[in-house]
Amino acid sequence: MKILINKKIKILLALGLVVSTLVELNSCTASKKIEAKSGAQLWAENCQRCHNTPSPSTFSPEQWKTIGMHMQTRALLTDKEIDKIVAFLSQ
Amino acid sequence: MDSSLLSRVSDLENQVNYSKPGEDHLMIAGLATFGFVANKTTNTYQGESSVSKTNSLADADNYEFSPMFLWRHGNKFLMEFEPSLNNDQVSVNWAEVSYFAAPGLILNAGYLVITFGIYPKRLAAGWIDKLATDPFGVAGSPPTTDYGIEAEGGWQAGTMKFSYDVSLTNGMQLLPDGELQGATITDNNNNKLLTGRLGWLPFSNSSLELGVSGLTGKVGDQGSALQNVTANMYAFDMDLVENIQPFQLNIKGQYNIMNLSNANYIDPNDPTGNTKYTFTNHSTTGFIQASLRPTLSNNNVVKNFEIAGRYGNYTTPANSMWGSKSNVLTCGLDYWITWRTVVKFTYEAIKSTNTSAINLGGTPGAINQSNSMYLQTSIQL
Repeated sequence: MKILINKKIKILLALGLVVSTLVELNSCTASKKIEAKSGAQLWAENCQRCHNTPSPSTFSPEQWKTIGMHMQTRALLTDKEIDKIVAFLSQ
Repeated sequence: MDSSLLSRVSDLENQVNYSKPGEDHLMIAGLATFGFVANKTTNTYQGESSVSKTNSLADADNYEFSPMFLWRHGNKFLMEFEPSLNNDQVSVNWAEVSYFAAPGLILNAGYLVITFGIYPKRLAAGWIDKLATDPFGVAGSPPTTDYGIEAEGGWQAGTMKFSYDVSLTNGMQLLPDGELQGATITDNNNNKLLTGRLGWLPFSNSSLELGVSGLTGKVGDQGSALQNVTANMYAFDMDLVENIQPFQLNIKGQYNIMNLSNANYIDPNDPTGNTKYTFTNHSTTGFIQASLRPTLSNNNVVKNFEIAGRYGNYTTPANSMWGSKSNVLTCGLDYWITWRTVVKFTYEAIKSTNTSAINLGGTPGAINQSNSMYLQTSIQL
């Protein structure tokens, strides 16, 4: 049993190391492309991951703000992404 | 100044004050699903078959009305509550408070949808699911709602994105025959269930997400012979969306592996409760689903059609009371009236082979073949 737990811990540590290495390597690349994305582009890319892209006319700006918070808890979008998407949908 | 002008200015000021958004906002969204299902079921055991046919307008499988209350309190708090009329009763899908603590950190508390895999939390809603049915097994095995606390968030790392979700909940309850059931508001033991998921979006356009989930915790009743039985579960999921002119291709999948530590269960056929039996309490369930829609077609009718197909399986423990091995094929044609309103025609064939223990009154080798046709409308409100 103890050997099995040690094995699991080793696997988890190895996974953590792989993930953190990927993050570190990838973070070295200045990601101006990501920063430059518009709300419209983020709306098109992220909403369709689960459902059809919503029409901006469906809800009012106040409603989009509320729905944006709800969607952030579901799709785990970053703060910058959700701010840009809500701003685009509120136009 | 003219008093009528002052009066007019005062009225306008009142109107402006009335239309100020304020800090709080309450709205109702949600969904409604209604449909028709026709089913033919054939049971075969020891060379003998029986056939039953049903058709129904609204039953547990194809009716749901779930208003979702979203109550935003400033920019930091959101309260969500979704009651649901489903399965002939009013239940609660979730009821939680979210605190947006910091960038990449959301804290939730209440009755939560646990993030084990991708399907229950993101894809289960009728207006999102491309097919009229949930993937057999994945939608409710293990149970996916529970009382507890949760931390979640997403962050950008260069051109990639990551997301995480960790929750601590009351946990599931192990029944005396070895089956698991969802939590109730009264916890059955002092142990808590730890669930986590890590999501990875490797491409800058977020077209692919890969996820891995884990769940662990004791599930037996406190003070019972089963109190030390531990559930250890894993799930792998993927979500790919690619636009290949003029189509949009959607591929989604999830695979759950569910293990419980060894235990002696009570034979319910023995009224004294003294007869015990055991089995390897190991279950698996998964699905892979693909759909194709010509979203970029110039034809306004053609672009609203979507075809979808799914393969699923669900294997419950052999030699238990409910052991079976099921394969499911589902296909469908959808028509999108709006971005959030869909009419679905779905055909599903489920073949289940019984693997339960004969000494427990089971019928190993019995085959259940179920063929269903659904016509369903779903709308997001």
